[in-house]
Amino acid sequence: MSPAALTRRAAIRTMAAAAASTLPFGLPACRPTNDRHDNKSSFSVALIRCPDYEARTLARALNDGWGLAVPPDIRGKRVVIKPNIADFSPDRPIHTDVRLVEALVLLLRNAGAAEVIIAEGPPHNRDTEWLFRQTGYEDMAGRLDVPLVDLNYDDVRPVRNANPKATALRNLYLPKTILTADVLISVPKLKTHRFAGVTLSMKNMFGVVPGLKYGWPKNILHWNGIALSICEISATVRTHYSVIDGIVGMEGHGPLLGTAKKSGVLIMGTNALAVDATAARVMGVNPARVEYLAMAQTVRLGSLQTRDIAVAGSRIKDAGTDFALPPGFSDLRLLRRS
Amino acid sequence: MTDPVSRALEFLRAHQNPDGGWGYRPGHRSFVEPTGFCLLASTIDKNSAVSAAGLAFLKACLKGSGAMGIDPSDSEGSWMGYAALLAFSALGAKVESRKLAQWALAIEDASGRFTFEEISSIAMTYRYDAAIPGWPWTAGTTAWVEPTALFLIALIRAGISPEHERLRSAVRLLVDRRVRSGGWNFGNPFSQSSELEASPMSTALALAGLGAAGYPRDSPAVQGGLRYLAGALAGDVSTITLAWAGLALKCYRFEGPVSFDPLTRLLESQADDGGFRKNMFETALSAILLADPAILIPAAGRSE
Repeated sequence: MSPAALTRRAAIRTMAAAAASTLPFGLPACRPTNDRHDNKSSFSVALIRCPDYEARTLARALNDGWGLAVPPDIRGKRVVIKPNIADFSPDRPIHTDVRLVEALVLLLRNAGAAEVIIAEGPPHNRDTEWLFRQTGYEDMAGRLDVPLVDLNYDDVRPVRNANPKATALRNLYLPKTILTADVLISVPKLKTHRFAGVTLSMKNMFGVVPGLKYGWPKNILHWNGIALSICEISATVRTHYSVIDGIVGMEGHGPLLGTAKKSGVLIMGTNALAVDATAARVMGVNPARVEYLAMAQTVRLGSLQTRDIAVAGSRIKDAGTDFALPPGFSDLRLLRRS
Repeated sequence: MTDPVSRALEFLRAHQNPDGGWGYRPGHRSFVEPTGFCLLASTIDKNSAVSAAGLAFLKACLKGSGAMGIDPSDSEGSWMGYAALLAFSALGAKVESRKLAQWALAIEDASGRFTFEEISSIAMTYRYDAAIPGWPWTAGTTAWVEPTALFLIALIRAGISPEHERLRSAVRLLVDRRVRSGGWNFGNPFSQSSELEASPMSTALALAGLGAAGYPRDSPAVQGGLRYLAGALAGDVSTITLAWAGLALKCYRFEGPVSFDPLTRLLESQADDGGFRKNMFETALSAILLADPAILIPAAGRSE
């Protein structure tokens, strides 16, 4: 949200590259898992048609994706869902649709999760009570008796940044709800982004950084360099699964002022980078040209290469639809979907 | 005790942590912002036992440099220092108040780091003047509306003159960052060929800051803000927005229709246990508003 981030993009790219020059800083996690994450692995991603937000349509699509992209074992676990509630507008699809999150809660409970929590720390509007109410999350959480946590005001503790060369965020304050999650699921909206090009599962993790330490907007993340901040957060806080709401996304002047783009898909999988790379291709974006995705691969947060990603369900070339790109990002356009 | 303010104070007392501070919610860790406001609320009934323990917590958060973190373990300075400054001032902790005020006045934002080209680019893209210093959420980054308004209120409460260069600059920033059709958002009035929407909470805070500084009611910024806020209050607003809006409207002696009166609506949202949304910060702010807004902003308590 910082204007500086826009005008200083070139300088920040250089700085971020320098800060990441000791890579890889590896991947890990709030809780150890047995999953391997290196560039030799094959990451499975489910690309599932889901034409609307009807409860039965969503349940079927989520079940299909859950079966195709092997999920983490959630039985008896404490599962935290992190949607994207960047803001609310009655006219623009800014936030993850609450009906998708409701369907996911039901799926997780049926699959044996001991506890399901919904948690979000909106980025620049401090008025979370209003946001949760307007977006329907307050009502849904009440009906399903799911805790709805404002991460901006959660208890926090500093965690060593996984990047040993980190400067601005050497110690990253993180919410207790995130740090104590057994399984963290990122559920963003499929959107373009005026500073980052696209905002997907990894960028959604900006919302775990608490306002009580970093404010509204969390401007330090922009001054640190958006790409570097995304990679540092993703390397420090492990996302175990991603479900991207591409049923209706946002194109053009995203992530707040863009226009609705109906894609009719869910993109799901365990490796956030592989899921994001697939989502980018669905949008007609070359993931290798998105700075933070390329950097994430360099620091071994997964892979964005098609050869490393097994896409199950629909084919990208069948389900993809070009999103209008934000000004200044025309070079991200994918020339040919495979 | 049956009146709303007494019940709110009882709720706060019941949830003071053993370390003397308060968390945002009962049973949660103590932080400087809710502790500062609970201490301010404790001045309503002059509860010395409560305030002594709370003051000790805040003093433990004050570093030798005068910086104030989010809690005693935080070695960095934080925006939450504004709340501690309010509490130190109200409770007569003069040494700490002076030290913290000096630190707050020295907090730097990014305005001095922008190049001429960047300032020009920001002016074209976002339509504000990035060269005007205000207060950032974290030191060295961009200044925004809400921390600027909060530090403005706290520094004036601490006795710093509105004529101080930093405070005059803060007022300039608030006026400059307003959404031209009325009100404020977090601090970007314009982006990508579109005016961005104002938000009720940011507008209430900006108006309260300007009111604290004595900025004239008949100015276009204040008139536009009051008009926007009155309209927003007719719809769905949060508890915290009702509280800040109540403060802002009192600063400017704004009288609206009864259905828009934020304090009446605030009272309706009080729970049986005396709290507001089980939130210590919101309960403390609401109690102050209902009892005596002059605790926060002297101008909000004066009659014309």
